[in-house]
Amino acid sequence: MTTVDAREWAGALSEAASKGYVYLDLLTAVDDGDRIDVIARVLDPSTMDAVMLTTSVASEDPLLPSIVASHPAAAWHERETAEMFGVTFAGHPDPRPLILRSVHERPPLRRSTPLVERLATPWPAAVDPAVERRPRRQQLPPGVRTEWVDQP
Amino acid sequence: MIEGRTYRVAEAPSLRVQVANLGLACCALEVESAVRMGLLIPEAESDGPAERTVLLVSGTVTEPLVPVVEAAVLSVPGASVMAFGACASTGGPYWDAPTVVNGVDRVAPVDRYVPGCPPRPDALIDALVGRSVVDGGSS
Amino acid sequence: MTALPRRGVIALIPDDCTSCLICVQECPTWCISLDSHTEQVAEPGARRPRTVSVLDRFTIDFGLCMYCGICVDVCPFDALAWAPDVDYSAASRPGLVQDTGTLASWRIDD
Repeated sequence: MTTVDAREWAGALSEAASKGYVYLDLLTAVDDGDRIDVIARVLDPSTMDAVMLTTSVASEDPLLPSIVASHPAAAWHERETAEMFGVTFAGHPDPRPLILRSVHERPPLRRSTPLVERLATPWPAAVDPAVERRPRRQQLPPGVRTEWVDQP
Repeated sequence: MIEGRTYRVAEAPSLRVQVANLGLACCALEVESAVRMGLLIPEAESDGPAERTVLLVSGTVTEPLVPVVEAAVLSVPGASVMAFGACASTGGPYWDAPTVVNGVDRVAPVDRYVPGCPPRPDALIDALVGRSVVDGGSS
Repeated sequence: MTALPRRGVIALIPDDCTSCLICVQECPTWCISLDSHTEQVAEPGARRPRTVSVLDRFTIDFGLCMYCGICVDVCPFDALAWAPDVDYSAASRPGLVQDTGTLASWRIDD
């Protein structure tokens, strides 16, 4: 996996395309907390060799150039990554949401975005302290992050 | 996205099953399996009119699929709607996902809920005709 | 030997359940819930009575269950087991929730 600077993202992909890696296999993102990693895997269809490129953008204002010029298949992947992770792909020819219909206040796949249903649904394993006298360590249900509970 | 396949129930041939598999329906494999086991038979012209039609809806109902589910239900007027599998019944394992609608019944009234992830073919037949066809059974 | 999952249903042996809640905690889809209370049992020769949990109600919502079998695996007392029954479709959403009586009536694999 090759890590490139965000400013060189489009250039690195374009260079890969000029070397034969013209087929976009995957473009997605991983939320690492204060930064978002964007990952692209591109293939050379004549040899089926693949290279993986990754870059990081700040979670606060994730902005990255679109790679649709060198890899047209990235158009849908970038639209999905934009709506799910809140990454803006500058220069995307058609930046409409791809999958989501309703407006989500925060990008659903960000770790900081609460899973509202899990937060709002009583966890059946939560022990009512009024009934249960044995001391138990405070447990959060699986899939619920501490930071969600502290959020307004 | 939707397959319009129609079947008759082997042991109740006047019962027509119309299958609407949504985008993400692993349960579709179980319908295929029911066909292979001879429990469902692809409908033929010689079958004559059906007394009752069941619209079998399987798969995860995501937001963009809501109009597709609505259209599928409207396309078979008078049919009983069967939610086949956990996703179609309640959202299933994806009940907490922000983009998933928790069950077909949020879109259209459901007459029969068949749980299972996925349901076995004999669970389908049981839900259609009201009793187990395979006693014990292995899969 | 543990019976392999056959995607029938998950059955309960109520007498073996100690209401320890491990299955409820481990269930990824939150489809299990149970109610219990504690009772004091006096034992001959024992200085103090023993506190035991008594199961009041055990439910599995098969509308949510994904048949992963984690509950069967984690139960320390083998009170949950696979059963081949399939006759549990329902005409309403609440009908997919099965309680102690039904869960105990299913035929557990040998």
